[in-house]
Amino acid sequence: MADAFGDELFSVFQDDSTNEAGTKKDQEKGKWKGPPGSADKAGKHFDGKLPTESTNSGKNKRDTDFEGTDEPIFGKKPRIEETIAEDLRYAIALALREKQRVIFTSPIKALSNQKYREMYEEFQDVGLMTGDVTINPTASCLVMTTEPCHVIYTDYRPTPLQHYIFPAGGDGLHLVVDENGDFREDNFNTAMQVLRDAGDLAKGDQKGRKGGTKGPSNVFKIVKMIMERNFQPVIIFSFSKKDCEAYALQMTKLDFNTDEEKKMVEEVFSNAIDCLSDEDKKLPQALFATETFAMGINMPARTVLFTNARKFDGKDFRWISSGEYIQMSGRAGRRGMDDRGIVILMVDEKMSPTVGKQLLKGSADPLNSAFHLTYNMVLNLLRVEEINPEYMLEKSFYQFQHYRAIPGVVEKVKNSEQQYNKIVIPNEESVVIYYKIRQQLAKLGKEIEEYIHKPKYCLPFLQPGRLVKVKNEGDDFGWGVVVNFSKKSNVKPNSGELDPLYVVEVLLRCSKESLKNSATEAAKPAKPDEKGEMQVVPVLVHLLSAISSVRLYIPKDLRPVDNRQSVLKSIQEVQKRFPDGIPLLDPIDDMGIQDQGLKKVIQKVEAFEHRMYSHPLHNDPNLETVYTLCEKKAQIAIDIKSAKRELKKARTVLQMDELKCRKRVLRRLGFATSSDVIEMKGRVACEISSADELLLTEMMFNGLFNDLSAEQATALLSCFVFQENSSEMPKLTEQLAGPLRQMQECAKRIAKVSAEAKLEIDEETYLSSFKPHLMDVVYTWATGATFAHICKMTDVFEGSIIRCMRRLEELLRQMCQAAKAIGNTELENKFAEGITKIKRDIVFAASLYL
Amino acid sequence: MVTSLRIPIGDCSESPTPSSVSGRGGRAAPAQTIGAKMAMAMRLPVARKPLSETLGRDTKKHLVVPGDTITTDTGFMRGHGTYMGEEKLIASVAGSVERVNKLICVKALKTRYSGEVGDIVVGRITEVQQKRWKVDTNSRLDSVLLLSSMNLPGGELRRRSAEDELAMRGFLQEGDLISAEVQAVFSDGAVSLHTRSLKYGKLGQGVLVQVSPSLVKRQKTHFHDLPCGASVILGNNGFIWIYPTPEHKEEDTGGFTANLEPVLLADREVMSRLRNCVVSLVTQRMMLYDTSILYCYEASLPHQIKDILKPEVMEEIVLETRQRLLEQEG
Repeated sequence: MADAFGDELFSVFQDDSTNEAGTKKDQEKGKWKGPPGSADKAGKHFDGKLPTESTNSGKNKRDTDFEGTDEPIFGKKPRIEETIAEDLRYAIALALREKQRVIFTSPIKALSNQKYREMYEEFQDVGLMTGDVTINPTASCLVMTTEPCHVIYTDYRPTPLQHYIFPAGGDGLHLVVDENGDFREDNFNTAMQVLRDAGDLAKGDQKGRKGGTKGPSNVFKIVKMIMERNFQPVIIFSFSKKDCEAYALQMTKLDFNTDEEKKMVEEVFSNAIDCLSDEDKKLPQALFATETFAMGINMPARTVLFTNARKFDGKDFRWISSGEYIQMSGRAGRRGMDDRGIVILMVDEKMSPTVGKQLLKGSADPLNSAFHLTYNMVLNLLRVEEINPEYMLEKSFYQFQHYRAIPGVVEKVKNSEQQYNKIVIPNEESVVIYYKIRQQLAKLGKEIEEYIHKPKYCLPFLQPGRLVKVKNEGDDFGWGVVVNFSKKSNVKPNSGELDPLYVVEVLLRCSKESLKNSATEAAKPAKPDEKGEMQVVPVLVHLLSAISSVRLYIPKDLRPVDNRQSVLKSIQEVQKRFPDGIPLLDPIDDMGIQDQGLKKVIQKVEAFEHRMYSHPLHNDPNLETVYTLCEKKAQIAIDIKSAKRELKKARTVLQMDELKCRKRVLRRLGFATSSDVIEMKGRVACEISSADELLLTEMMFNGLFNDLSAEQATALLSCFVFQENSSEMPKLTEQLAGPLRQMQECAKRIAKVSAEAKLEIDEETYLSSFKPHLMDVVYTWATGATFAHICKMTDVFEGSIIRCMRRLEELLRQMCQAAKAIGNTELENKFAEGITKIKRDIVFAASLYL
Repeated sequence: MVTSLRIPIGDCSESPTPSSVSGRGGRAAPAQTIGAKMAMAMRLPVARKPLSETLGRDTKKHLVVPGDTITTDTGFMRGHGTYMGEEKLIASVAGSVERVNKLICVKALKTRYSGEVGDIVVGRITEVQQKRWKVDTNSRLDSVLLLSSMNLPGGELRRRSAEDELAMRGFLQEGDLISAEVQAVFSDGAVSLHTRSLKYGKLGQGVLVQVSPSLVKRQKTHFHDLPCGASVILGNNGFIWIYPTPEHKEEDTGGFTANLEPVLLADREVMSRLRNCVVSLVTQRMMLYDTSILYCYEASLPHQIKDILKPEVMEEIVLETRQRLLEQEG
């Protein structure tokens, strides 16, 4: 299988990854666009046959566009129009004439199927390869489904877009990006304002639905508006299946069924609706879709509506990226039909202008390699002569991106080194010694502070009126007066432990500017020449850089500005009275800290201070300038060090350590020998690519499947392919629970070996990656139950069940191959029987798109 | 067991000084016909001595013949070369029993080649068909080499056209030897080969030795340039190809330019010595890999090339090889 397409395919891929220049050139030409007017002419005389000699000047021009170059002609073009264009047809025919193969890639299966059909009509010699269908793979024109690929974008849009925002709770749309691509800051801010004002109403949509009593939802309102203003057809993106359903239901209330509109709507959506029953056809007049839909399908609309700007990506809710936004909003605007496309984004949370701007104006996602190692990959590379996994790692795109950073880092090191050498300090040695002493003192000072900041020591002294010094990184607020302190419970996100935080409220001199437009958290200290305003600022305990032994009287009521300003005067008075600095609380004498460690630190400080005072430089008039120079030099030295470390890291082959660990695991489990020759087990594991090959091979060699019936084996294998979450854990009968336990034991052993081989793996996570939720469902289905019956057994979506079954069939096929490789016909027959048992009825009905 | 009735018919003119007892006549009377007064070594059938089993790990091997019961324990799973009969696991081929976890299979000593993806094979073209060649690789079914899975001359990358099909016999014709890699194994066990790397392709001048596939040790690489001055390809299918080490490694052309320069006598001597060493190792049932061949070669140096094939010499040099290998393994 590995190389079944012949070298032509391979070479195309190689070109793809290296020939970026070619892409750009194509794009500059307007990509797929011939000279005006030529498309029609060429289209007419081009009828699927190979182009013959022609005198058509337009076509000749296009010949030079595509011909005379070894650059790849990219088959999948972006976001202009998804039907098979004349130019594309031409390019394919041209390639065929030149005896090259054509690979047309599309990111999703449905689109591949559609393209396959279209091309098949045109050129008979067409093949298709998707996850579950392979037709004529040796054809000269091959349509393939690949991972979503965002490499090639063009900024050119035939139909300009207008982006609107709909703040939840508000009742109007705000134009934020006009058709020229300008971001309307003022409009955006107004929209944000509406959001803020709406307050509670912001979540009104959700509450409304839950309560079930409130009026029509926002979506409802917008769709209605769209229909009123003739902006249909519309595609509505919703990021959860459940919402999608809920909205669709609401839509049924809307009466769009004026004949004219209905016709229009149905025309556009007939594709999607055809597969639904008659009854269903009456319902959706607007198409609700999840994100996958955006990747392709020939179904542009005039308006695109996002019901939310955040989506659940498996871990948590996040803002959709600008790349995703571009992809999805690109559905709006039909070429030749609409003069502009309309994109409406519903926002129901406070969205900061930066996030919003990024989302709407941002560029496409950068292409980053998601390359990672798998055992299957390692084994397959080990078994062929000549290539080894190390070589593969080195040549990967991931590595390429990594290497690309090297010149920059080298430059950085060089610059830093030059700077370092430029700085010349007189009498350097002694300065450095002095510098080191000061550094040590600073470090020790920090240690003392840490002791002082322990709540149990410092809290008793944080009475109102205490003078404290506050410093937040670069912001030195100087002395302030404690007003109060409070405890905040802070739950650590990972451990769930309670870790109380102490917040001290301090009256500080802040700059007026920083107080004006935001909450006190963002207060900035006043500049020395500025008068400043006294304000109470909450401060975390560890930001107190010093606690003095002085307490001031503070006015009872701090609300009037005058009272606060009077405190400032008192502070200044205190500072006047202590010209040598305000006396501090002594950690041992005053605060009574009895820690031995602290005493040691203080002794050290004394020793260093002594050395510092006795150092000849201490009284040198040039001290300050020399010292800052030295400080700068030391800083550069640190920079150089880190840059060098970075360089070293950049030069290593990534994932090499992981590869070593994985090889170690393979050796310990007996899949490969120490000289990297794969054994029988390794060969079996090579056959299994769609699930955990190590565990399945181990199970097979341990005879776990021997005593199971075909149904049991099939049910057991479902754990490997079902990946979604289900709240319901089914109660398994012993005939299923037994094999499951055995499997888990096997998995534990693999986890243990992996851990011994220093591969980072968490036994719990590993074990829980096998989800037994569908075992009983699959078992029942394999014994011949109806689909309706098994749907009732679980809360898992029907679609997920079908998906699971299909993947299960694939896995079973691979297991058949594996059983064959070890020469055990009984096992082979068992898995083959499993396939026939699950492959029936609706589960394996032909794809809805084909 | 009776073996080895060897009647070497004299010495061909190129072989170094004849060493048989009565072998001085040839030069004295130039006009004589072959055989009349030439050397002739006659050997009578002798009982084959059991292989020296005291050495090595071979003694631990569990050997079976067809029909032998391997185990009566039902907890095991049957693999290749076994069958279940009356609750017993029985061997269907003669060979050594191998166990991996709960799987038991018997690796036949003498067998045809059954292909596995990634194997290196040496084969002979037997037929030119439409878009493909049939290749004899010592497996049960003929292997195929598709026109599309071979390099075109000059490494051109394109779809194969009708012209290419017509030129197929020009690329490879019946009788040609090729080295190739197994690309896929069909469901019936037939093998599909590819030569899509410049180191595979048509083989030029050299010596072919056919041995049992079970004697070729699987290794990371099966192409070896031996320090003694020749190269070997140890095909996983038991075809061993010994050839002079090419001078310009970088100019691999995938066998499209045949080097027809006569091979130097010295090189030919090295190759024939290697060939005889391989034969000795095989007779003594030693695994073939670069080190074993090299050690055997070095052990054979005190002997004349043709003498290596004498049973007693064979036994002697293989014993020496075996000992060196054991020492090396520690």
